Formats: sequence, C-alpha cells, structure tokens
Amino acid sequence: MAEDIIAPLAGKIVKMYLEVGATVEEDDDALVIEAMKMETPIYVPCDGTVKEIKVKEGDNVEEDDVLAIIG
Amino acid sequence: MRPYFEKMPEFGKALKKGQLKRTEANLEAVRAEEANIEAEVEKVKNAGFPTEKINARGQMTVWQRLEYLVDEGTWCPLHTLYNPADNVEGTTNVIDGIGRISGRWAVIIGFDNKVMAGAWLAGQSENILRVTDLAKRLNVPLIWLVNCSGAKLPEQEKFYANRRGAGTPFFRHAELEQLGIPVLAGIYGTNPAGGGYQSISPTVLFAHKNCNIAVGGAGIVSGMAPKGHFDLEMAEAIIDKAKHFKSVPPGRVEIHHDHTGFFRYVFEEEQGVLDGLKDYMTKLPAYDPEFFQVAEPKPPKFPTEEIARLLPMEQKTVYDFNEILARLADGSEQMEFRPDYGPEVYTGLIKVNGFLVACIANRQGYLGKEYPEYADYPGFGGKLYRQGMIKMNEFITLCGRDRLPVIWFQDTTGIDVGDDAEKAELLGLGMSQIYSIQQTDVPMMLVVLRKGSAAAHYVLGGPTANRHNAFTLGTVASEIYVMHGETAAVATYSRRLVKEQAAGNPLEPVIDKMNTLAQEYHDKSRPLFCAKTGLVDEIVPMGAIRKYMEAFTASAYQNPKSICPHHQMILPRIIKG
Repeated sequence: MAEDIIAPLAGKIVKMYLEVGATVEEDDDALVIEAMKMETPIYVPCDGTVKEIKVKEGDNVEEDDVLAIIG
Repeated sequence: MRPYFEKMPEFGKALKKGQLKRTEANLEAVRAEEANIEAEVEKVKNAGFPTEKINARGQMTVWQRLEYLVDEGTWCPLHTLYNPADNVEGTTNVIDGIGRISGRWAVIIGFDNKVMAGAWLAGQSENILRVTDLAKRLNVPLIWLVNCSGAKLPEQEKFYANRRGAGTPFFRHAELEQLGIPVLAGIYGTNPAGGGYQSISPTVLFAHKNCNIAVGGAGIVSGMAPKGHFDLEMAEAIIDKAKHFKSVPPGRVEIHHDHTGFFRYVFEEEQGVLDGLKDYMTKLPAYDPEFFQVAEPKPPKFPTEEIARLLPMEQKTVYDFNEILARLADGSEQMEFRPDYGPEVYTGLIKVNGFLVACIANRQGYLGKEYPEYADYPGFGGKLYRQGMIKMNEFITLCGRDRLPVIWFQDTTGIDVGDDAEKAELLGLGMSQIYSIQQTDVPMMLVVLRKGSAAAHYVLGGPTANRHNAFTLGTVASEIYVMHGETAAVATYSRRLVKEQAAGNPLEPVIDKMNTLAQEYHDKSRPLFCAKTGLVDEIVPMGAIRKYMEAFTASAYQNPKSICPHHQMILPRIIKG
C-alpha cells in the first residue's frame, strides 16, 4: 500500500533525507521545506521503502504537490 | 462546576520511536547549553569567600540558610545571573526566588555574606525592586535574610542615590506593609548604615545573638569629626577607636532587644533564627489550597523533560506548541477557547496542581492559504494577525473577570506588517491588548520559549507589563531583540547602500558594518545576556518550567486580593457553549 508524502505548504526544499530504495520508519525525517524564513520539517507517514522521490534540494514546490512515495 | 474541571479534554501524543530518534540531537544541544548556564550559576554560588571559611567563623552562608529555611524541593531561584552593572563580583549580591516555608509560599531574598560581608553593590537595588514587585504582585510575604555590611564605598556613586537607588527598597517595604503584605527579616552579622535600614524596614525582626544594626557602624563612628586632612596623630586615634568598635560595635542585641525592643526575637543559634521564621510563617494568612482547587492535582501524562526534545534549538524550525503544553498541564488536559478562530495563538484553560490557570501562547507553522483573511500572503505562526489579537483581547478580559492567573508562552517574530496589516487595525489591536492586560488585576508569568521580538514581546504579557507580570523565564533557546539582526542591519543601512552606490563608492565598508550590527544583535540577545541584563528573571532548564508554574500558581492562589466563585465564572461556559 503506497503512501504519498504531500507538501503541506508552498516553499523551497532545503533538505532531503530520503534515498530511493531506503527502508524508512514512520516519523523518520523526510525533508524540510522553507517558507517565510521558517523551516517546516516533513516526516515519513508510515513504515516502508522509499519508492520514488519527485523533488530535490533547491526545488520550489506548491501546496499539495506529491514530494515522494513510500511503499 | 466539577463536570467542567474534574476531567477536561485530554490532548498531546506520546513520542514515537522516530521522534525520539529525530530529536536526540536537539536534546543533546539543549543539555549542553543548560550545562553552560549551570556553570555560570555555580560561579555566582562560589563568589567571594569559600563556604568553609564562613563556616569556620561559626556562620552559615546565605545558600545554607536558604536550604535550611525553604521546604525541600520548592525553591525556584530568580535573578541568579542578574548583574546589570557588570560588577566584578559577578553578582548584585542578593540571592532571591520563590519558595515554600512551613507549607506557605513566600518571596525570599538574602544578602550573600560570602561577598564583602553582604555589601550593597551596583544593580542590587534594581534586583531588590524586582523582588518587592514580585511579593506585591503575588500578595505573598517577603522574607529577608539580612547580613549587609553596608555600601561598597569606592563605588557608592553607582547605587547610593537616584530614584531607584539603594534607599528605594525601604520605601517599597513600607508600601508592602501598607498593602498588608508582611516583611519578615532574619538578621545576622554586622549591619551598619544601609544594612541598618535593610534590618529595620521589615515588619518583624528575628535576630541572631551576634548581630548588630545601626545608623552608622564601627568604621563610620571611628571616622567622625573630620579635620580636612589626615596626620599621624589622627591615624593613631582612628586605630584606637576602630579597635574599640570592632569589639563593641554599635547597635548590638543588648541595645536593640533589651533597650529599644526593635528585635522581637533573639536566637542563640543561626538555625534558631530560621526556625523562628519557619514558625512565624504558620501564623500568616493563607488559604488552604482546597479552597481554590477545581480538581485533584495530577502530573502531566507525558514527561516535562520531553520539552527539550520538542522545542527546537534551531530558531527557524517549526514545532507543535500543543505538544509542549501537554507536558506541562495536569493530566495533559485543557479547555481551548475559540480553537476555530485566530489559529496563530493558543488560548485556553489548564490546571496546575488542581488550580485553574489561563494560558496564552504563540503557535508555530503554516496557517493555511486563506489566513490571514485580510491579505494575499500566507500566515505563519509566531506572527500575530487580526483574529489572534481579537481572540487574545477577549480572553484576557474574561480572565480578569474570572480572576484567573495567566501563564504566557512567547515565541514570536512580531505583529504582521504592511498596509494590509495596517488596514486590519493591528496597531490599534496591539494597543487594545495592552489595555486589556492593564485593566485586569491578576498575576501573570511569562516563559519566553524562543523568540521575544518587536511589539509582540510587549503585548504577549512581557516584563514591560510590570504591574501584571510577576516574573519572566527564559530557556536556552530564548532570544530577545527588537527585530532580527539581519532585519535591523537592512533597516539601518539600506539608504546608505543606495547613496554609496549612487556616488560610485565601494559597498564593502557598509556591508562590513551590516555584518557587525547583525552579529551584535545576535550576541546581545543570547540567554546569558538576557539573564545578566534582566530581560528575563531566570534562565531555567526546560524540565523545570512546570516547577515554576506550580510555584507561581500556588502563590497566586495563596491569598488573592479578589475572588471569583467557580460557579460564577463565565469563561468555562463560553468555551463549552
């Protein structure tokens, strides 16, 4: 059962902790979005493996963009 | 009102494995910084003569006296690192805080007899005035441990005179007594001149057999009748007088107990004085806590120490304030006021050891595309917007009406700015909030979790609300400044940059100044700086925040000046709807 990591806000990806194929656990660091001079950490929503990463550090994203997929 | 308060809605979540792993680095950073603060506190504790030397004279140190006097586990120190005049002694030479004595809360202060026998130093009267303000605000007794050798004479110009100088505390003692707040003094050692007034200005005097208090001490009496110069004959006369007065100082117990009767009690042993104070505390007015408690006391469901994991040291990182509050409130229970309005601030009721307390705090993080409703930019927690300020004004007013003490938590970058914000009346709402605070008459305390900035630092119950704010705590993550250093550098030098560029001059010298200013802002906003200059009253470990909340709340409810019966409160009913 795949689960998407969704951008909760628009901003810039300033840190990416995920690697495709890596095993992750719920609440692990996934990435950090910077907006309005504040950094919002995004966490892995469930245990699993990183199936796909759709963004990289430096990318600008919009709210509700899919950032990565955990399978 | 039992159905309202006995079991309020629970909130907060236990930390998961991933969170524990993720927050380990933050925990280590907090611990390292807290160890640095503790090292500074140890320097203050070790100022002056070593304890052994004082004990060898048959005296206890002020620290030993405090330990003996205060009920175990209740001491909440304040102003430990306060040293606004940067005295070489590293202290203002008074040690103070809140603690319980014989089961009753009091504000307690004593001279550090290890440092120049408890001399007056620069900054000391400011420290004492904070303490008298605290006793006044909480309406609890002020307990003095007097052991004051008088002024550090070579620096008298720094503290002797002035509107808030060394004599002002005596007027404050009189003011406390006018208000019905007793000031008890345990008196030790030699207390001449200013020390004499420190001793005589309290309400009831408990004396150690070897103490003395006097208008002028041996040194002054020996030096009376000046001739305009010194010579050998005069020097020898001074020696004779000094020897005499050293063995027979003015104002001994036989004068001020047997003759004047100023000393109500005299004790043979050092501890006897403290036992006398302990006994007397049981005679002073205090409600049994049950009179005001709305529920049985219970600890939070989650450990308070976890705040060191949940509050990021990295200033830019957002966090969930509710999770912090869940580690401070009885049973991790709360009743939130208007949760659907003004999402950037938390307003609600919690219990602290069974007492009902109001809580106001900044929330952090993204607030959604549609907020604030008056602007086309997104809202972020830490900032204050129209709804949040209206909500706080309402809540504060109701707290005043229901006689609820207020605990504020600040982590604010300021009030929203720009024409949209001006049209939304934020300037007026900020001042309304100051008015709302001022028109209440309830004690407040503040914890600056991270940022205290811009006018938001004022309107969020900061120390400038000094008729209401009993004390302000900082953490190792605190920083307080009018604006961020980089913002200040831009505000200061932006026009200069334009001019220099127009003149064809190099920009590097201006850029260097900008970087210097930004660095100065950083250096002058750190926790140690805040504690030393009095921007906060104490930097406390994150795990100790609840202990201070307990002391504040119990003190506020010990003998309040005004009461709202639980069944006549309106705020809980508004929350319930």
